[in-house]
Formats: sequence, C-alpha cells, structure tokens
Amino acid sequence: MSVLCPLATRALTLAGVFLAVLLLLIVTLGLTGFADRMLNAAVGEQLRAERTTLAQTIRDPDQLEQALATRQQELRAFYGLDRPWTARLPQALLRVLTLDLGEARTLRSAKGSNRVADIVLERLPRTVILLTTALLITAAIGLALGTYLATRPGTLLDRALSGLAAISHALPTWWVGILLILIFAVRWRLFPSGGMYSTPPPSEPLSRFFDLLKHALLPVLTLVLVSVGPYVYVVRTITLNVAQEDHVALARAKGLPEGLVRRRHILRVAAPPIVTGLILGLAGSLSGSILVETVFNWQGMGRLYYEAVLGTPDEAVIVALTFLYTLLYVLARLVLEVLYVFLDPRVRYAE
Amino acid sequence: MLRELWRSNAGKAGIILLALLLIGSVYVLLTYPLDFGTRLWSNPAAWADNPKAAPPAWTNLFRQEPRVEHRVFQAREPEVIETAAGPVSTYRFPLAYPYAEPPTFLAITLGEVTYARRPPLISVSLRRPDGRTVRLYRHVPPAPRPGEEPPFRRYHETPLRVQLSTEAATIAAVREFLEAEFGVQVSERELLEQADRALFGAPVEEDAGLRFVPLRGEYEVVVQVSFADEGDRLGLVRFVVGGAVFGLMGTDAIGRDLAQGLLFGLPVALVIGLAAATLSTAVGASLGMLSGYAGGRTDLLIQRLADIVSNVPLLPLLIFLLFIIGPHLFLVIFILVAFSWPGLTILVRSMVLGMRSGQLLEAIQSLGASRRRILFRHILPQIAPYVLAQLIFTVPSAILAEAGISFLGLGDPSIPTWGQILEHGFRTGGVYVGYWWWVVPPGLLIALTGLAFMLLAQGLEPVINPRLRRGP
Repeated sequence: MSVLCPLATRALTLAGVFLAVLLLLIVTLGLTGFADRMLNAAVGEQLRAERTTLAQTIRDPDQLEQALATRQQELRAFYGLDRPWTARLPQALLRVLTLDLGEARTLRSAKGSNRVADIVLERLPRTVILLTTALLITAAIGLALGTYLATRPGTLLDRALSGLAAISHALPTWWVGILLILIFAVRWRLFPSGGMYSTPPPSEPLSRFFDLLKHALLPVLTLVLVSVGPYVYVVRTITLNVAQEDHVALARAKGLPEGLVRRRHILRVAAPPIVTGLILGLAGSLSGSILVETVFNWQGMGRLYYEAVLGTPDEAVIVALTFLYTLLYVLARLVLEVLYVFLDPRVRYAE
Repeated sequence: MLRELWRSNAGKAGIILLALLLIGSVYVLLTYPLDFGTRLWSNPAAWADNPKAAPPAWTNLFRQEPRVEHRVFQAREPEVIETAAGPVSTYRFPLAYPYAEPPTFLAITLGEVTYARRPPLISVSLRRPDGRTVRLYRHVPPAPRPGEEPPFRRYHETPLRVQLSTEAATIAAVREFLEAEFGVQVSERELLEQADRALFGAPVEEDAGLRFVPLRGEYEVVVQVSFADEGDRLGLVRFVVGGAVFGLMGTDAIGRDLAQGLLFGLPVALVIGLAAATLSTAVGASLGMLSGYAGGRTDLLIQRLADIVSNVPLLPLLIFLLFIIGPHLFLVIFILVAFSWPGLTILVRSMVLGMRSGQLLEAIQSLGASRRRILFRHILPQIAPYVLAQLIFTVPSAILAEAGISFLGLGDPSIPTWGQILEHGFRTGGVYVGYWWWVVPPGLLIALTGLAFMLLAQGLEPVINPRLRRGP
C-alpha cells in the first residue's frame, strides 16, 4: 500500500502532463489558424489539379466555374473546413485518445495505405534500426567505460574522455553525418551516402539484410560518435560521486572485498539516475531524429514528422505523432516509477 | 575569478578562443553593411563576377598542377594620350598566366560613362606571350536620345557587364584571329565552348580535330577608350579572369564568396547563443529562486510547469512554431528561451531550499532583514557561480539549435547564418559531388564557437566546485 500510493500520485501527475501537452497542441493548431491554412492549401491544390481535367470535359467557362465551386464545397466538407476548429480538432483528439489514430490526408505508407497506424508502423522499425541501435551501442560502451573510468579518475584516458565529451557537446550531430558522407561515401566510396536500400533493392532476404546494414552503418556511426563521449562522462561522474561518499569509505574500512564494494555499494546506488537516462533515451529514440534522418535520407519517424509539418502538411498525422510521443514519454516515466521501487529502497520505505 | 579561470588550461584556451571570436565579430560589425543579408548575400547579381563552386585558392598548395586563380582587375590611373580626334585613355592589366587550363570565364564590366557630344569608343584586347594581339570586344555606349540634354550619362545605375567567353562578338573576333594568325579555319559554333581555350593557347590541328596547347607566360589585357572631348570620362573598368579556385574559402554554387558569409555568421551565432542563454538563465534562475524561497502554491505551480516544459521535445516544437509564425530569428531565440529554463529552475530551487533550512538564513531573518534583501544579498551571491556556469553551458546548445533549424530550411532568410550555408550546400547536392569547402567550414565554426564556451565552462568548474581543486 505504501508503495502504491505515491505511485498513483505520480501516475496522476503524468496523466495531467499528457493532457496538457495535447491540449496545448490542439489550441496552437486551431488558434493560430495553422490547421485551417494547411487544409485550405490542400483544397486549393486539389482544385487546381482538377481544373485541368474538368476543363477538358466542360467547355463552357461559367459551367466550369460552377462545377469547381461545387467541388470546392465538397472538398471543404471532406476536410471538415465547414466546421470551426473547435468542433473539428477536439474530435480528432478524442478519437486519438481511444488509440484510433485515424487517417492521414496527404501522407501514405509505401503500400499506399492512408491509415496513420499503418504509416507509423512502417516508419517505426526504420527508426528503431537507426536510433535505438545507436543508443544501445552508446549505452553499452558508456556503461562499461564510464564505470571503469570512475575507478581511475584523473588518468590520461579519463581526461581525454572528458575532453571528448566537451567537444561532442559543441558538435552538431547532423554535420558529423555530413562529414562522414563526404569521407566514406563521396571520397572513398565505401558506403552509400543515404537511403535505406540500394536501387533496385536486393530480392533475397539475406542480401537485403546486409544491404540495409550497409546503409545503416554511417548514420549509426554518426550517432554513436557524437553521443558516446557525453554518455561515458555522465556515467563516470555519477559513479565517481557515489564512490566518494562516506558509506563507500565505511564499506572499505569494514574490509569488504573491492568487487563487492563496487557492486553493492557503488553501482547499486548509482543505478537509478543511469537507468532513468537509459529508459527515457530509449523512449525518445523511437520518435526518431529529424536532422540525422534528413542528412541520410532515412524515411523514419523524424522525417515523418517533418513531412507532416513542412512537406505535405497533414494535421491528422501531427496530432497522432504528438500523441504517440507524449504517450511514449509518459509510459517510460511510469515504467521508471515501477523500476524505482526495485532500484531505490528509499521509495519502498518512504512514508 | 578570471585569474582562477586563466590558471586552468581549458579556461585559458577558452578565453583565447572567445577573444578571437569577439575580435572577428567586432570586425564584422564595423565593416559589414547591416543589410548584408538582403542586399548582398541573397542577391545573385552581386556575385556574378565570381566563379561558381570554386574551392579555396590555397588548395593549389597541395596540387602538382596549380589551378587558375581568380583575378579581378579594377581600373587604376590610365595612360592618357592627346590625339587630333580627342584624348585616348589606355588601361593596361598585366596578367601572369602559368596555368595549363584556360580561365573559367572572362568578363568585363564598364560603368559611369559621361560624355558631352559623342559617346566614346571602348575596345578591349588581349596581348599574348607570343606577341600576338586579339581584339576581345568593342563597345560604343548608346548615343544621345532625342530631347536628352548633355552631359549624357550612361551605365551609372547598372554598369554594363559582358561575359566575353560567351559573347558572340568576341567569338567572332577569336575566329578571325585564328584564321589570320594561324591560318586555322574553325566555325563559331565550335568555338562557343572553347573561346577561352583558344585565347590562352596555340591551335594544333590533329586527325581528331582542332586542339589548343596551353600557352603560358605574360599576358596583358588592354582597354582603350577613345573620347571625343576633353572632360568625357569612363569611371569604372573591371576585367575579371574567372578562376577555378577562389579566395580563402572558395565560393558556393551561385558564386558567393563563402569567406564573407562565414565571417558574417560569426556575430550572428554569438548573438543567438548569448541572447538565448542569458535570457533563459535569467528566467530559470529567478523562477528557481522564487520557487524555492516562496514555497507553497507558487512552488508547486512553477515545478509542475517546469515538469511539463522540460519534457516538450524542442526541435519538433521549433519546426512547428516557425512554420506557423514564419522564420524569424527573434522567434527562434524566444522559443529557445521559453523552453530551456526548467533545468536551471529545478537546480536553483533545490539549492535555495538547502540554504533556507540552514542556520545562516535563519539568523539573518531574525535580524529583521527583508525578504528582498535576503534574496538578493544572501541567496543570489551564493548561487551566482552555478548560474554563470549554466549560462556558459547553454550557449552552445542555443547555437546548435539555431543551426539545426536553419539546416532544415527554416532559417531567417534576411540574415545569413552558418546553418543556412550548410543547408544550401546540402540541399543543392554539394555534399554528394564533394564540395567540402562549402559544408566543412560552417560546421567547423559552429563546433569551434561551441567549444570556446565548453572550455570556459570546464575552466570554471574548479571555481564553482572547490572540491575539484584538490584533484584526485
């Protein structure tokens, strides 16, 4: 009971955050007229396209104008422009809340489906291949090297890594990607400069897999290169701070073996903040990286959001994606709350 | 504190780097026009005389066969000879030409012609190392229109620019020259692509066709102006030998001098970084102090707000808002400020809370100090070093965020930034054809600017956290 009560409070807070973000989105979309402008542009575009085809069948200019006007009314009704955004957008939100992501207006999946769920399910694995893989590699190196360095602060390697962390913090990841393209793809022609598969893609599953691997290597390398320095540094600093605390000195004074001190008294205490970073990072990685995916022409979740806003504006996709991002974040936080119960005894015994 | 900063290597490097960046910015602010972005940078006409997508001139140091360097000759004092028909001015531009390739183009610009009765005759010719002379171009500015009053002014607002390499008159002249001097018959159509090659080479007839062997040595461009009257003048004569390499930083696909754009981006980046960092630090620190000191409902409200704001993904939001409202630099700064304060607020709050429960503040309070006095005289000085470090630490993130936005094509079009130069290089495919001088320097500058602040932050660490001073 004592565990569940604070958990419930946190869950409620998170639900509040969740709703607040979505409400904010709806209000910005509606109040700024963005949604209306976007849809009006779509209607105009479609009318322009239909004008040329209609002009071939209807010769009389007056009749043509009339036909186009009726068509415009139909289109406006189809896009919901005949209703104010206060009626349209909350409806979209309610639908989304029941996990029905709805249908995209302009974007399509590779198979031509306009269901947002299909589009997202198509993009999500691609982003996982890129960002989640990169994060897992980074975390593996970071955890191993960081905890190792914490036992040897001030050594040459330690100082070199904190330098690397400082430089990485100032480096634009996407620019590093461009550099790698220049060197490995343009200069040496070792790897493709972008995309997911060669054209035409190999038909055999195995060679297809290796083709994908070859295309993913540069972007993953980019992400790992830029994020590994700071990751190691953070793990090292957290671990080092714990290692300098009194209880560790006490453990050592008791004569406990060094391995036990590290496992039980240092790493155990340092775990919660590190796990927090990892879980939030994993959840965040699913939303993709707009910049890196742009540089490597990788059609993942980041590009999807970019296209929904700038390429072929699609309000349904924007609402759905924002909903998913926020949902992911909130779920990750909930998972963390549960994990803390195991990781941090203080949570268990609080109040 | 400065002395402490200077003592560490990182701090020293940071200060030196920052000083260099500031000197560069001051230079730009003093010498560049404020409307550089709209009037020059985004105006292709301003860069017509530059070669397109040319690498920097210093790349010649790494090549066996040097590539043609870009040369611009602007009129100096002409030699003036009085003749019976009137004064004749001659401009001579000596051109040493040791290259195996022809220039990428030849162009002449004439301007500010003023005459009293009859327009002057301007003729341009090239003297070659083999002693032969080719007439390149001949021009007479438009005659007086009916009803126009002398003095007649021509080409004052828009100078006359002629791309000689593709000018029909020049190609005809080159054809005549080849026929008269070398006895070579060649059609003008054939010459269209290789007029420059013919001008800077000697023709060799082979089975495969006509070929030109590069002719190296001392050339001279001669511009002769025959005026009708004393007092007639030609104010601007500029002859351009288009190079394959250009300047310190090369050019982009429309011939813009990248060195100028990169230099202009320096103060812009610093202003974005410093403005966004200062404002967000100020907001973050004051909200943190308020939250920690006031407590109660204010505290709860601020903390919840921080919780929400800190979890909004910044880049998607920036893209979204910039698309709706329009790409303005100030909006970028505003959004960065509005969404990057929570971290500091949470930190400052916890520090203030810690202090509030200490005995020092209790003692001061019991002495009757006002809340305002406690906040500003006793709390603020204690958190100041952290706040300063946070400020310095935020600068690179702000610069990176703006660069990312510009890279996605949402940069403020009236102000060139490093991110925009990169975006242009990437979007036009410059990366894939290996135009490294276009995409490497801007990113390097972004990284270097960020690094200056990171080094400062690292140098400040011992000041803030005296425990670190002892070392391991």
